[in-house]
Amino acid sequence: MVQISLPQNSQVKKGKYFKDKTGSKNLRKINIYRWDPSTGENPRIDTYEVDMDNCPSKVLDILNKIKNEIDPTLSYRRSCAHGVCGSCAMNMGGKNGLACTKPHSEINGDIDIYPLPHLKVKKDLIGDLDGLYKQYQSIEPWLKSNSKSETNEIFQSKEDRKKLDGAYECIMCACCSTSCPSYWWNGDKYLGPAVLLQAYRWIVDSRDEERQARLKKVADELKLYRCHTILNCTSACPKGLNPAKAIAEIKKMLATANI
Amino acid sequence: MENKKPLSPHIQIYRWHISSLVSISHRITGIINIIAITLICLWVSLLILGESNYNGINQLLSSLVGKFIILGLTWSFSFQALSEIRHLIMDFGYGFEIKTSKLTGLIVIFGSIILTIIFYLIGKNFT
Repeated sequence: MVQISLPQNSQVKKGKYFKDKTGSKNLRKINIYRWDPSTGENPRIDTYEVDMDNCPSKVLDILNKIKNEIDPTLSYRRSCAHGVCGSCAMNMGGKNGLACTKPHSEINGDIDIYPLPHLKVKKDLIGDLDGLYKQYQSIEPWLKSNSKSETNEIFQSKEDRKKLDGAYECIMCACCSTSCPSYWWNGDKYLGPAVLLQAYRWIVDSRDEERQARLKKVADELKLYRCHTILNCTSACPKGLNPAKAIAEIKKMLATANI
Repeated sequence: MENKKPLSPHIQIYRWHISSLVSISHRITGIINIIAITLICLWVSLLILGESNYNGINQLLSSLVGKFIILGLTWSFSFQALSEIRHLIMDFGYGFEIKTSKLTGLIVIFGSIILTIIFYLIGKNFT
């Protein structure tokens, strides 16, 4: 259901202000969404003044700096810092992305950092992605082959392998799904761009023998056709992939194949 | 209940893109058009009931507010038509690249304004 406003317990309040203590002249204000599960209070926005002269180029560097030097209570997920693990996906300057690959110079003015949109917040910038992972599991993202021999190599032509380009690179960071208004309103039923891109990845895999069954499975008013080509997903993807196009391809396959 | 997890902000904080703007406008103009077409049908059927009804509505539409509504509807129809063409092209699997979608979105936005002006100029010659 479309609910534009936030529930009562999710209204964001003004939080603390951390004034700069380094005396630096090159300061930037960073507004960060905070929520502490132990207090039972509403979420708040804390503002930090950060010395940009001694800060590397990415948004994740700012967060690390705040955690190390200003406020150790700040919580966020991060791991590889190279845009491969997808842990540090969050909303920066009103757009989803990976904090480790997003240069803070690309954001004008104060930097607003929120968790990924429309998720249950576990703490601060950490959103609950359980629902998305369950949906991922539901499309059965593994090779299904009925071939008798499981020890032989399954050959794939270069052309067929090429079809997976733009789909296999996905790191499941959830930037796209949580940028999608359709997923906000119908996230319990609509699979969302991330999962549908993976569904597509297995549908077009020449080695997979369950293509028909996979197509039938996603051919659902709510699971698939809630995509209204808003294209927030494609513009959010930090890996430069195109989930919207993959969804369109699935729709096209369903329109042209007789199943 | 005290520890109920809050919902992270969504539409309140997410930046608008041209593609999302065109998409939501497509829906809004769609709803407006349905209502407008229904009203136009009612207006036409009033003709059957006599000249006075027709004249009354005609007068209403000739007023400044009426003209504004007509102009608004002309834009709404133009926007819907262009945006629908954009959607048709997308249904064929084209125009999903960020740059292309931005361009087609801009064409829809500015095209609808230009179409409105053209319709206005054409319509002016009929009165």
